[in-house]
Parts: sequence; C-alpha cells; structure tokens
Amino acid sequence: MRLTPSTKRSRSKLPFTRGESHLPFTRGESHLPFTRGESHLPFTWGVPALLWQVIFFYIPLAFITLSGFIKISELGAFDGFTLKNFTLFFTPTYLKVTLASLLMALTNALICFAIAFPLAYYIAFTGRKYKNSLLFFLIVPFWTNFLLHVYAWFYVLEKHGFINTLLMKLGLIAEPLNMLNSLFAIMIMMVYYYLPFMVLPIYSSLERFNETLLEASYDLGGNFFTTFRKIMLPLTSRGIRSGFFLVLIPSFGEFAIPELMGGDKKMFVGTVISQYILGEGTGSLGAAFTLLSGLILLIVVVGLNFFLTSILKPRMQNG
Amino acid sequence: MRNIKLEDLSKSIHNQVIIPKVDLVIPGGKFFALLGPSGCGKTTLLRLIAGLEQSDGGKIYLGDDDITRKSIDQRPINMVFQNYALFPHYNVFENIAYSLRIKKIPKEIITQKVYKLLEAFHLESHIYKLPSQLSGGQQQRVALARALINEPDVLLLDEPLAALDFKLREKMLLELIDWQDELETTFIYVTHDQLEALTVADQMAIMNHHGEIEQIGTPKEIYEFPVSSFVARFVGTTNTWHGKLRDIDTNPSIETPELGQFKIYIPKKKTWMEEGYDAVMSLRPEKIFISKKEMKDFDNHLTGTVESIVYHGRSTQYNVILKNGEKIQVFEQNEEHFPQEDIDYDDPVNLYWQRKSVVLLEK
Repeated sequence: MRLTPSTKRSRSKLPFTRGESHLPFTRGESHLPFTRGESHLPFTWGVPALLWQVIFFYIPLAFITLSGFIKISELGAFDGFTLKNFTLFFTPTYLKVTLASLLMALTNALICFAIAFPLAYYIAFTGRKYKNSLLFFLIVPFWTNFLLHVYAWFYVLEKHGFINTLLMKLGLIAEPLNMLNSLFAIMIMMVYYYLPFMVLPIYSSLERFNETLLEASYDLGGNFFTTFRKIMLPLTSRGIRSGFFLVLIPSFGEFAIPELMGGDKKMFVGTVISQYILGEGTGSLGAAFTLLSGLILLIVVVGLNFFLTSILKPRMQNG
Repeated sequence: MRNIKLEDLSKSIHNQVIIPKVDLVIPGGKFFALLGPSGCGKTTLLRLIAGLEQSDGGKIYLGDDDITRKSIDQRPINMVFQNYALFPHYNVFENIAYSLRIKKIPKEIITQKVYKLLEAFHLESHIYKLPSQLSGGQQQRVALARALINEPDVLLLDEPLAALDFKLREKMLLELIDWQDELETTFIYVTHDQLEALTVADQMAIMNHHGEIEQIGTPKEIYEFPVSSFVARFVGTTNTWHGKLRDIDTNPSIETPELGQFKIYIPKKKTWMEEGYDAVMSLRPEKIFISKKEMKDFDNHLTGTVESIVYHGRSTQYNVILKNGEKIQVFEQNEEHFPQEDIDYDDPVNLYWQRKSVVLLEK
C-alpha cells in the first residue's frame, strides 16, 4: 500500500509542538518531554500494560488490604474481621518508626539532590564530549548484584577496612572507627544506591536547558544565586521533582539497606513490615502497617509536591 | 556618550587565536556595525565587550574607565542575544522587568518604566503572553526592551535579525535606526550580512577571517573606497583584475595580462603605487554601462557575450563572458518602463566605464 505524504503524518494537526506550548501547566518548561510526530497509538496497544498492572499491582493490593482486616486465632486459623491490626500502630513507638523513615527518606533525597545537581550540570554542559561515557559509568554499577555492592561497602567501612586503614596510616586516628551498623553506614549506602535516580532526570532537563539564558541573566545584573534561583531552578524543576520522588518514595520503604548496614537496632518502616510479613502469624499486622505507612507516604508526597512546585517556580509578584 | 576603546585586545580559546591584537575605537552615541564572515571572531569581540568572556591581554575602556576586569553586571552595557534568550517561563512584562526586579527597585517605578517601554515597542496587547506565544518580530522587540530598560551606555546586538524573514528584517532595521536616533545610546551591531551593516551603520568595521580589522569607516567609504580586495569582495559584489601599474604620475593605467590596458584614477597616491607594481583593480558591477551600441565619452571599453540574465526587479544582472573566457557581472538599473535596447542571451555587448569608477587595491 502506498502512503501519500499527506496521510503519512501531519504535524500541523498536533495541538502543540516542541517549544511552543499554549498549555497553562507547561509554563516553565521550554520543551515538552515527548511530542510524537505520529498520530496516537490505538487503545488496544495499551491493554497488555494495563493487564500487567492489574494482575501484579491492584490484585495484590486488594489482597493486602483484605488481610489487614483479618483476625487470626491462636491456632492460626481465620477468625473473623477486626480493626485491631490498625489501631496497634497508633502508638508512639510505631509513629516514631514512621517518622524516622520519613526523615531518612527526605535526608537521602536532599543529599542526593545536593550531589546530583552539580554532577548532572557537569555532565550536561562541561563534559559535553564525554557525555555518553560519563552516563555509562553512572549506570554501570546497576549491572552487578545489589548484595555485591553491600559487601563492597563492608570492605570499605569495616574495622580493618579501607577507610580505617587509610586514616590510621595517615595518623589521623589511633583507634579504628566503628562505622558499620550505624546510621552513617545506612546513609552512605542509601545515597550511593539512589544517586543515579536523581542524576538522570535532572540531567535530562538540563540537557534541554539553553545556556544562553544564564548569560542573559548575568547580563541583566543577576548574580549566581538569583540566576540559579530564578532561571535555572524553575526551568529544570520537572527533572528535579521527578528525581526527588524517584529517590524519596522507594527510600521510605527501603528494608534491605537498613537491615544489612544498620544491624538490628535501627527500626524503619521497611524493616518492621518485612519482619511482620515474614514472621509467624503476624502477616495481618504487616499488611495493616503497609497500608497505613503507604497512606502516610501518599499524604507526604502530595504535600511535598505542592511545596516543591511553589518553591521551584517563583512567580514574580505583581504584573 | 562615551567612546569604547579597545587596546591590543586579544583572546584565544582552546589554544586557538580568535582575536589577535585588536585596536578599535567605537564612537559614543553612534550606530556602529561590526561586519565579518561567519566564524571570524566578531561575536567573541562582542562578548569581550559585554563581559561574557575575559580577554587574554589588552584593555577595554568606556570613556576613561578601564572596564577590562569589571564583571558583567558592573558594566553599563547590555546585550540582545542572537536567539533573544528570552526567559521562557516569564511573560513579556516579567521578562522586561527582570533586571529591575532583581535590583529590588520599588514596584511602582518598575511598573511605570516597563509600561513606558511596552508602549514604545507596541507590546501593550501582549503583556501577559509567554515568549513562545509571540511572533519573531515581537520577541525581538521584547529582547530590545529588556536590554534597554536599564538605560545602558552601550547596547550590543549579536546578529539580532538572523532569525527573521526578509521583509520583517527590513522593517526591524529601520526601527532599530529610529531607536538609536532617539536614545543616542551607542549601538554595536554584529552581523555577517553586509546589507544590514550598510543600512544601519553610522560607522562600521570590517573583520577578516583571522579576526583582524581590515577597515573602519562610514558605509559609503567602505563600499566606494575599500582598502583591500577582501573588503571589496566582502562588502557588495565586485569584479577584480590584477595587472601592472603604468604611468602613475601622468596618465595612470593598469596593464592586465589578457585584457589590455585600462585607464584608472588615483585620488591619493600611496607608497606602494609604483611603476610596474602588480596591483588589483576593483570595479563594482553597477558602475559598468552595458550596450549593444557603440558609445563615446567613456574611458574604458571591453567587449563580450551575454551568458545569462538575472532579473531582480529594480535592477537586472548580466553575466558577461569576456574574450579571454573570464566572467564579469554588470548591474543595470531598470529605470525605464520600456527599455530602449533589448539585450538577450548570447548577444555581443559593449561594456563601458569611467576611470574614476575603478578602485585600486594593493592586493
């Protein structure tokens, strides 16, 4: 079948094109993330993905919700429905665990941002020529097993490990520091593991950023800080927000890293849930805590999103 | 208005010399054009003046102030960027108000100043539009207003019209001239388009491929009396021949190897103009008179055949092949509604010009 040029694709019919958006919610971003030249794909193409979501997310979620309300008898049998699994968690101990997880996730996201922004900036602008190699090295660690990363860090942090040996050789410390099984070790591993999730989205919005805008701002009397705040941040806010939540949400429920690096003393949402779910007859408690903490995370994320949107996009007053 | 003086200014990027030592005085309060081929370093020179780049050596003066090491925000100089560099997340008002707002100037004064400019640039009906919702010409005007709100001593324009279509460019050029007249700010206009430069400039400088300035003068001086064959060829079109100089003091002429001797005119003798020197003569296409008839009262005469004719509307371009196979361009104004002669393809023609129309160049 021959296609005439006019039926093949018609760009003019698109409601918006690159760099020219009339939509209110795209202000601040000079470019839309995707603009397809082709017409939209038929609905049926999306069905496999939807099915996948339903089978592996919504149905398990329904199971968890259901099991959160189940009462188990001492013999381990079904014993009707109850709300007790939920009320248990409204005690200071569990609220503290939730708060600790939130704080850890936030700290992780903030540290990752502080490291990732300059790094992404460097890759996008300064390292132009080596852009692809730099991105490659950023992703390479993901090709090895997670546990190998953890053991590698053991060698770095342990009593007779790399850091201690180095510091003692340099004469900076007399006794080896106890770094493993601490909050410090957890944070190091968290930042190390989640950093690429922050770098990549920021990098991709910086790549679309027109550097001349910085020069224009300096030319008009802006210093580094105002330029960063009024030009750079708002125009890369999409990437920053994506990166922030890509790091924040999984770190809230992280259980492997606290478990392996923090010993058994540090309690976080993820560790509590995994203990309950894997424990004898405490599955319902685990399910209930999963739902509750998930709800708390949802509220926090929605709130943070509003907050980030407002600080990243400073509307100039007046006008 | 203060002059800008560049003294021995030089700049290399990645060990490549972009600007060898440049000396230049840009008269204050004038429309100054810097014309040069793409990649000759003219934009770098502009960026040095703006403070976007630091020079390797030499000095930049604004009047008596040495601004060489002053940072960009301390120079009373603003720039209109090649693609305008409007802030895409701010509307027209916010773009223009940007520099006043970051200086924490009171709101009422900002509003007052911005509205004055909006009115002057006919942008009142676009105040709340984002740059992406404006046409090229409107974006251009916002960029101008944004750069002018600080009332800078010098306004730098880096190929500001390159993105506009021909008609709009012509209109914007005239607007720019009006603006410069009214504000009396020094405008430094960088372009590779000789027509733009000739149109706007009070004074202009021509830069060659090596970043050296070949000639400075009024557009007329540069067009009519180029000092080098680079300038003659770069500004406008020209026909050039080389040949040996003869009888300089009595009846000067140039003897070409193939086309014979042409009479020339030497208004002011230069040191290199010696008997037998191998010089270049430049003859603008519009200074040549083309006819099938024999004419008198011309100093010089050549014959040839018309190879092709290009009709431009206001003028007609004839490409004529001379007897030695060389091609030469001739422009004829289309003054008459019904031309007296019909010159057609392959017609044998006579070419005439006066000795005063020739410009003699060293190389």
